[in-house]
Amino acid sequence: MKKAWFCLFIVFLFVLSAGAVAAEEKPIKIGLQAPITGQWAYEGEMAKNSVEVALQMIQEQGGILGGRKIEIVVADDASNPRDSALAAQRLVSQRVAAVIGTYGSSVNEPAADIYEASKMIDIGYGSTAVKLTMAKERKYFFRTCGRDDTQGQFFSEYAVGTMKARRIAIMHDNTTFALGVAEEARKALQEYLDAGVAELVFYDAITPGEKDFTPILTKLRETNPDVWYFTGYFPEAGLLVRQGRELGIKCPFVGGNAAINEDFVKIAGIEYAKGCLMTQEPMPTDLDTPKAKRFLELYRQRHNTVPTSPWPVYAADALIALTWAIDKAGSTDTEAMLEVLRTGMEGCEGITGSIAFTERGDRKGIIYKMYVVTGEGDMVVYQP
Amino acid sequence: MNKRHKRSQLILGMVIALFLAFPFFSNFYWIDVAFFFGVYALLGLSLNIVLGETGLFDLGHAAFYAIGAYITAILNTLYGIPIVWLIPLSALCAGIFAYIVTSPIIHLRGDYLCIVTIGIGEIVRLALINNPFGLTGGPNGITGIGRPSFGLFAIDTSIRFYFYVWIILAIVILGLVRLQRSRIGRAWNYLREDEIAAEMSGIDVRHFKLLSFVLGAALAGVAGNIYASKLMIVSPDTFTFMESSMLFCIVMLGGLGSIPGSILGAGIITVFPEIFRVVANYRMLFFGGALVLAMIFRPGGLWPRKREIAIPNVRSAEEAEEMIRPVAVDQTRTTAKQSLNGETSSFEKHILVTDKLTMKFGGLVAVKDLDLVVGHGKITSIIGPNGAGKTTVFNVVTGIYKPVSGKVYFEGKDITGFKPHKVASLGIARTFQNIRLFPGLTCVENIMAGLHHRMSSYVFSSIMRTESQILEEKWAIETAMYWLDKTGLAGLSDELAKNLPYGKQKLLELARALSSSPKLLILDEPSSGLNDKETEDLMIFLENLLDEMDLSILLIEHDMNLVMGISHWVVAMDMGIKIAEGRPQDIYNNSRVIEAYLGREE
Amino acid sequence: MSIILEQLLNGLTIGSFYALIALGYSMVYGVMKLINFAHGDLFALGSYLGYTLLVWSAGAVSQRFGLWGGMAAALLFAFFAVGCVGVLMERVAYRPVQKSGRLPLVVSALGVSIFLENLIMAVWGPRYQAYPASVVPTYTISLGWFHITSMQLFILILSFVLMLILYYVVQKTTFGAAIRATALDKEMATMLGIDVGKITLFIFFLGPALGGMAGVMNGMYYRQISFVMGWNYGLKAFTATILGGIGNIPAAMLGGLLLGLVEMFGAAYISSAWKDVFTFLILILILIFRPTGLIGEKVAEKV
Repeated sequence: MKKAWFCLFIVFLFVLSAGAVAAEEKPIKIGLQAPITGQWAYEGEMAKNSVEVALQMIQEQGGILGGRKIEIVVADDASNPRDSALAAQRLVSQRVAAVIGTYGSSVNEPAADIYEASKMIDIGYGSTAVKLTMAKERKYFFRTCGRDDTQGQFFSEYAVGTMKARRIAIMHDNTTFALGVAEEARKALQEYLDAGVAELVFYDAITPGEKDFTPILTKLRETNPDVWYFTGYFPEAGLLVRQGRELGIKCPFVGGNAAINEDFVKIAGIEYAKGCLMTQEPMPTDLDTPKAKRFLELYRQRHNTVPTSPWPVYAADALIALTWAIDKAGSTDTEAMLEVLRTGMEGCEGITGSIAFTERGDRKGIIYKMYVVTGEGDMVVYQP
Repeated sequence: MNKRHKRSQLILGMVIALFLAFPFFSNFYWIDVAFFFGVYALLGLSLNIVLGETGLFDLGHAAFYAIGAYITAILNTLYGIPIVWLIPLSALCAGIFAYIVTSPIIHLRGDYLCIVTIGIGEIVRLALINNPFGLTGGPNGITGIGRPSFGLFAIDTSIRFYFYVWIILAIVILGLVRLQRSRIGRAWNYLREDEIAAEMSGIDVRHFKLLSFVLGAALAGVAGNIYASKLMIVSPDTFTFMESSMLFCIVMLGGLGSIPGSILGAGIITVFPEIFRVVANYRMLFFGGALVLAMIFRPGGLWPRKREIAIPNVRSAEEAEEMIRPVAVDQTRTTAKQSLNGETSSFEKHILVTDKLTMKFGGLVAVKDLDLVVGHGKITSIIGPNGAGKTTVFNVVTGIYKPVSGKVYFEGKDITGFKPHKVASLGIARTFQNIRLFPGLTCVENIMAGLHHRMSSYVFSSIMRTESQILEEKWAIETAMYWLDKTGLAGLSDELAKNLPYGKQKLLELARALSSSPKLLILDEPSSGLNDKETEDLMIFLENLLDEMDLSILLIEHDMNLVMGISHWVVAMDMGIKIAEGRPQDIYNNSRVIEAYLGREE
Repeated sequence: MSIILEQLLNGLTIGSFYALIALGYSMVYGVMKLINFAHGDLFALGSYLGYTLLVWSAGAVSQRFGLWGGMAAALLFAFFAVGCVGVLMERVAYRPVQKSGRLPLVVSALGVSIFLENLIMAVWGPRYQAYPASVVPTYTISLGWFHITSMQLFILILSFVLMLILYYVVQKTTFGAAIRATALDKEMATMLGIDVGKITLFIFFLGPALGGMAGVMNGMYYRQISFVMGWNYGLKAFTATILGGIGNIPAAMLGGLLLGLVEMFGAAYISSAWKDVFTFLILILILIFRPTGLIGEKVAEKV
């Protein structure tokens, strides 16, 4: 009998919690869906920090709609599709004006469907899979980050065209992002392969979370590549470079935009990190705009470091784009905001440059550059 | 009883009403939480079959969930097969997959099974990531999965999904409750409680373990289908070891083998982290701590299964006896009795014969070239000092050990190397030196184990409650009650076996063995632990049995009063060798036997 | 030839991590018949504690005691601190559950694992941490075409010494005999006057302590640590334990080293992406044909 009451109690909890979500009218609520726990928790934490810094910047400049308060509502998706759907549904039920998020394409997918069905704008900041915008028509989905194919193409053209590399090695880590970039790079490489000016001598995956990559690196060494592209993340990239160099792989290492940052330098050790290249959108450290400088300054002030991956900065940009849209539209009316995001983005300056979207919702005008790690561990544009 | 029944019905009604009303005064977020609650309840119930009912240590259950989800995703996106049709197909594929991967490992026990299931879970997840044949979409998974629809009625909103999953769940619960209270469910429980005793009672261990894996996997496959159609994407990061551990926790939190418990557990696992969203970073920290606390304070689960057998129309004992008699004593066997009087072959006189039976463990010879003959309708005893190899003989005869050489004939048939359940179903029942009951089950359920191989209802008939299944159940319960009565345990039918005092446990074990109406009853030290009066009663009981039924008895005994009092034939063993045999009084005076017990006189 | 030798060396290095962690699994299993799922997280905790000591006030420890002194301090600190956490874990989460049987224990262990992992995240943050290069020696020793880094040599020597000591203690001393007796039959051991409580305390100190030490070595060797790393190493070491034969200390060592080699050669000669699949397949095959592991002893079930 007692147990039956227990069951009732659970139901009661539902009711209670459902009732508790009564919306307060005053501040504008913007949702941030990010992995606060789980494997990618550090990405979630940085995204949250970045968005808070961006919010501070916006408020410094007088805010929007005549200084109305903005509140960030964080929802954890633990980088897992189920939690993602729940986080999205939760933000929808909390009646936020729009959502920033999330990290990881396969996690973003179910959330984007829910936002779409609820007619809520969602700006992805770390989900780069091509099919997210191209496989399905999504009216309410945008993203401030680039797409896998742009970066992959850039690498292939740069490696064959500028670096004059013939023997090309590509390595990924079987995460959605890294595999995406690697696949797109391979696709872009195809015409050079057909023309016989280049050779794909190595294409394989490592397992993320592992630490000893000597076997696969030994294999890589056997293929004697001219350039070695790794599209995965910095914890593995740092180990790969160090272990690879110790094994005697001498060819240039090129990392994707998630591979190289301060922590990469720490893990690889400066002696090996020096001279490593990366395919990267213009970085805040490199952008001379006052916005970028101010962002880094504030971030450093608050957290004593800078973001170690590119995605958090895109989350900040997503907030800037959203506040711009709200301000221009004059309200948090979704359709009006949508109109601004589609056509009225002229003059919207984000931290990574001007923000505008294609009709599919992809970021317009994302360009990539080749960066290099200097002897001091900084990253600067590479001049061969 | 009746009042309680009414009240629990009332509460059930209230819960159902609340569930029906819930979506209309809640928001989509909590409706979705309730949806996933339903999915996890399905998953919890599916693992409950394997882990809870059968006691198999499965920490890779997410693999079967994944198979269901991916089958749905692949067939729907590639060939456009409607989701609803894919429900049975996902179940089938997950079941077949489970059959294929678990059949080579099903004999493993406990922790070894645990690591293997973890391995299977990881292999499936890694295979999905590595995108074999370009089917699984790699780490991105498969997107664009359709929604279920019934004709024009599409399941496409949160509310519809909520009802969809809970209606499926309700059907599943109904089926599982029926299964739990059937021959199948009991067989699983016997395996969980004591595998060897179950096997010796005639339960095909391998078959029922596989069945539980297959059914559990099939149900997980259904959950996978529902999950895939709700999220419209499947990707490998759903089906991790963490997911399997969560399912494990659902079953353990609820209580092993408890259907409401698994549902409650699923509710806690899904709702708890949602409530603690407020403390985002620390919510899993609390969760881990809560799991530990739950196990400290409620190790048996929050809602453990209460064991009670619904007894259809309880009859008076006499009436029951009337009804059981013709069934309990098999008619076919009278022919054997008749032939005793006439000209008979040696096999008809001897129900059990062993021919040069030898058993070794490593270098140790436990039994050597043993020729043993058990007379039909007689009581044969094996005596000998400790370590003489007596119990080993029993274990070889009943199929627990396979002999190194030699043969065992039962009713003239070579049964050497037969599996214990096969031996049991041929008509050999036994008790154990250290009582082996099913401690967590009731007395009636314990006795019903012996009836298992004489019943035939299977999954379908148990779920559908066919007429023959109902009759069979009734027969089984009444037969069990008869034996309970007969062994003097009347009134203890709903008592858990572990709560009985020692002497009664021995009787219960005897009742279980007898309920299978064996032709040969093998008793390993039946009088140990009994006082003189109880031993006396036992002797009378056994002798009466011999008169009443067509039965032969083989026993190991140290109590010489019992041996000499009731045996027709005595075999003495020492160091694995038969040293003497004959009528009791001859053996009593045999010098080699005395020597074996007391040592050589100088 | 030199490639194979290099692979062998790398395999042995990673194998000695597995072996050190596997020892903890095996010992705890011996006395409690529990798969301690939290063990991998204790390993991660060890590497975080070592890291904290080494970066504490800008590497003060290493400056005061020198490179090797700092390393020794970090190893010992992690050894004792994680050992104490292990004892605490046994007292709080396992002992009260033990009487309720093995399945609740498993759930309790899973709970502790989730708790520890998230505790590390809460204390040190979710970011990856890197052992600073300045606190780790980085010489390479070359013998002709054969190279070995000082860290590799150090790890191999230290873990072999630790294993030898443990082997000696468990197999040759009276105290070791008491441990083995407890593992075989707890009740009997109690009746023979063995202080089972003391043995349990010792095991729950030593097992986690070795794991914590392995965590520091791992951090120094690879330099990069994260709060989720425990699970991966935990699973591998657990696999190693079963591979060798659970509850048996030399078997755990053998299993660990063997698994390291299997992984290395699997990744080198089969496929890096599929190598874990092969690892688990090998494990399953071994269990099918030798259900007690490679050198585990067969325990006949008493009927």
